[in-house]
Amino acid sequence: MVQEYDVLVIGGGVVGCAIARELSKFRVRAAVVEKEMDVGLGTSCRNSGVLHAGFNYAPGTLRAVLDVKGNSMMDDLCRDLKVKIKRIGKLTVALDDEDEATLHRLKEQGEANGVPGLELIGREDMQRIQPGVEGTLALHSPTSSIISPYGLTIGLAENALANGVNFHLGRRVASVSSLAGGGWSVETGSGEAFTAKVLVNAAGLFSAEVCRMAGITDYVIYPCRGEYYVLDRRLDGTLKALIYPAPKKNAPGLGIHLTPTVDGNIIIGPSAEYLNDPEDHGCTSDVMKELRREGRELLPEIRMTDYIRNFAGIRPKQTPPEVGGNKDFVIEDRKDVQGFINLVGIESPGLTSAPAIAEMVREMVEKHIPLVPDPSFNPVRPGSPLFFSELPAEEKAALIADNPNYGEIICRCEKITKQEILDAIRNPLGARALVSIKYRARASMGRCQGGFCVPRITRILRDEFGWKPEDFLKRSAGSPLFVGNVRPEKGGAAR
Amino acid sequence: MNGTKAEVPTVRRDVVVIGGGPAGLAAAVAAKEAGCADVLLIERDRILGGILNQCIHDGFGLHTFKEALSGPEYAARFIDRFRELGIAAMEETIVLSLSADRVLEVSTRGTYQRIEAGAVILAMGCRERTRGAISIPGHRPSGVYTAGAAQNFMNLENIMVGKTVCILGSGDIGLIMARRMTLEGAKVEAVFEILPYSSGLPRNIQQCLNDYGIPLHLNTTVTDIVGKGRLEGIRVAQVGEDRLPIPETERYIPCDTLLLSVGLIPENELTRDAGVGMDPVTGGAVVDDSFMTSVPGIFACGNVLHVHDLVDWVSVEAAEAGKFAACFVREGSCALPSPIPVRPGSGVRYTLPQSVSGERDLTLSLRVSAPWRDRCVVVRDGGREIARKREMRLHPAEMIRIDLKKETVSGCSSLEVTVE
Amino acid sequence: MSTREFTCVVCPNGCSIVVDVDDDETPVVTRVQGNVCKRGESWARQEVENPMRTIASSVPVRWGDFPLASIRTSRPIPLSKIREVMEEIRKVSVEAPVEIGDVVLPSPAGCDTEVIATRKVRKVR
Repeated sequence: MVQEYDVLVIGGGVVGCAIARELSKFRVRAAVVEKEMDVGLGTSCRNSGVLHAGFNYAPGTLRAVLDVKGNSMMDDLCRDLKVKIKRIGKLTVALDDEDEATLHRLKEQGEANGVPGLELIGREDMQRIQPGVEGTLALHSPTSSIISPYGLTIGLAENALANGVNFHLGRRVASVSSLAGGGWSVETGSGEAFTAKVLVNAAGLFSAEVCRMAGITDYVIYPCRGEYYVLDRRLDGTLKALIYPAPKKNAPGLGIHLTPTVDGNIIIGPSAEYLNDPEDHGCTSDVMKELRREGRELLPEIRMTDYIRNFAGIRPKQTPPEVGGNKDFVIEDRKDVQGFINLVGIESPGLTSAPAIAEMVREMVEKHIPLVPDPSFNPVRPGSPLFFSELPAEEKAALIADNPNYGEIICRCEKITKQEILDAIRNPLGARALVSIKYRARASMGRCQGGFCVPRITRILRDEFGWKPEDFLKRSAGSPLFVGNVRPEKGGAAR
Repeated sequence: MNGTKAEVPTVRRDVVVIGGGPAGLAAAVAAKEAGCADVLLIERDRILGGILNQCIHDGFGLHTFKEALSGPEYAARFIDRFRELGIAAMEETIVLSLSADRVLEVSTRGTYQRIEAGAVILAMGCRERTRGAISIPGHRPSGVYTAGAAQNFMNLENIMVGKTVCILGSGDIGLIMARRMTLEGAKVEAVFEILPYSSGLPRNIQQCLNDYGIPLHLNTTVTDIVGKGRLEGIRVAQVGEDRLPIPETERYIPCDTLLLSVGLIPENELTRDAGVGMDPVTGGAVVDDSFMTSVPGIFACGNVLHVHDLVDWVSVEAAEAGKFAACFVREGSCALPSPIPVRPGSGVRYTLPQSVSGERDLTLSLRVSAPWRDRCVVVRDGGREIARKREMRLHPAEMIRIDLKKETVSGCSSLEVTVE
Repeated sequence: MSTREFTCVVCPNGCSIVVDVDDDETPVVTRVQGNVCKRGESWARQEVENPMRTIASSVPVRWGDFPLASIRTSRPIPLSKIREVMEEIRKVSVEAPVEIGDVVLPSPAGCDTEVIATRKVRKVR
């Protein structure tokens, strides 16, 4: 049975989901096809979570325009989608004359890009914002912020779903072919078939591969891995703002830095290493050592016991290591093939730009399909941006009296309640891997890394939903947690 | 979550014990037996017994009961006494915060409340050190577990975590799991230990590894975890004297499960919440010989204070803490003035308590910093020897206890413990 | 003839015991050295000639508030019998209620021991 759509978005990362949510404002049959079991599991969940102000990009480039626009849209978007955002601002710090010249240039560039509130400040003012920071001059950008990148992706997806966009998760696109009368036919690895009048290629690390499927050979993606360390929440509050060094020419990224997260951790990173494999998210001992060294240099208070986890994200770079630097986003309505809206190389500031990219893509879609606004579109997602643990005691008491599941703490480190776990597993997208609970409810992201909560979550999933040991997947069908029972279940074991 | 508020009731209790494992149970029982009528024990699990519930192997209680019991049996003895005494317990309840003036915020199904405690006994036990905390490079597939979590799955949830197993860390938890998994049909390839000696009991090396032909590789660590979905294998390498891997010795071992038994960390979040002074070596609170911390009326015992190897001593220590907590509630304070500091000297990693009053008998617990045979543990006040104990077998993994009489310590100014 | 080394577990001294063994069909101890007491000597002999072990495992429980009851052997069994005993244990299942000390399997593999439950499991309707 072929599923027919007006618009099919390939890729359920933050960009694909932002596009889906934008399209859901209109009366159009749209869907997202995503190879992982949940949205955002590629690069979108593996980055610093920073919303950039927009002074790092040459005026007139898509990165500059879309980042500044996207940044300005975030307050309303996060309010509606119930996503946590913290407008903590950034200090880009100069340590020498060359840096100071860079900062002057960046301020000018930022102003040309329409970045609000940029100010050059001296050491005294810097230290008022961030006690102890060292430097001769800093560029203060108040619109630089932090956000939960997977929180935003999930929020966009769930709102898009609520407004009528279909999500086909766990489906990897295997072939794409243009149809005689116009439009596209898309087949997945498991033989499922879709048709669409317009295809949107938002496949991130695999966007070049999808291009090739459509007969477009202009692009190559060079995976560039960035490793990170996650630090214990003990250091929450140490960083009052984002603190970045003044950027050096031709670096593949913005260098290793410390970033506070919206949930109170600090992450160190990212590094930069070109790879062949776009899915090699392994961490290496050399980089870990480097991250520890840099981290302690920037924050001497870090202790060995503060390191709780390592992870890695991969940037979809368009330039090989010899060239370095950053190319502008490719967001194009192809002329050589009809109805193929192509996004390639959306690395940083892709997260910040996502809602603005979505508008741009929607305008391109409109050239192919009339888009009539849907009056039933509801921009507001139910729920709260806050975890239960963040509520005042009196609100907790009220919730617990009304629903005892809020009184039962499952993730001890992060103080996550049974109700939040249930909500996470009952997510409207139907994503059923443990990683989906992690990114929604935060369980297992604390210092014990799931040692306490995973057995309890296991029990909840078995009791509430009758899961068998083989149903428990960490992230995908290839990552089962268990191999079976120790003894055959005899039944009747109620809890 | 719509902003509705409700009142947060506050109740007053005399002795509140946080944690219903072996330490909490013994402390609660002792507090009640010492005459405190109002004792409340708070336990986050559905059942009492703590970690003992999943320790189904025997060897518990050789000192306390002169029997080799399993964990659940040992716990049952204390739970029976606990119930007999009619001590109040709140199960499935978690303490979210603790203040220096002994106010707890407590959450359970149905109520959120504050408890003002006359005395608090911290008995929260410890958690396991994770892969992330020791920065093992590689991927993050499923199939990597801490040994205790795997034990929980097997013994309480009836779940088998894997088929071909490697174990990092030769502490007793890893050794016990090597045997447990083998008996249930898994293939345990090897146990790897970064140090030149095992931290497990010799009995366990014999009965968990040698009996089953499972090799123990000392001076070896895991250098890579391979597998994007489920674990496919690990790389191990020998380490030099600096404990760093020697790259030329690296080899690949296929396996679908990696168990980590790389140390226990006292779970002191609430302790820090209350501003209690901590000992960086034990990872637990600094206490005196009444097991009271630097915050008046807050006591600590069991694994949350320092990681024990024998549950019998947990029970003894916790009983002391319970007794003194009851005394504190009754008399306002049991703290006797001018504490005498106790410091670890050459060969000793830590001593506990970190100060003594000089006005009562006590037992000094300590751990040595390296394995030795036939040495003396010596306690000195300044240059003057006040106690000496000969031990045939000294090992960092095994707690050594020295009983000191009040007469021996009273009048001392500063004690140091050394191995000679 | 071979030599084996053990760390004795009878008391905390943990003597390093060296045992000379005649490796025939059944190993026979010819000399024991390094032990401080007689108990160590008999333990070492036993370890070579007929090592004894206690084992612990679980059996499934029907209608219980726990899916498994932990069990152990009440007295040590020969090391050589462990596999056979485990095979018999695997066939056992019980019904709640279970009390600590309940015999779930008498004389497993003909050994002079019982397999007893070590946790209480309440009956759930």
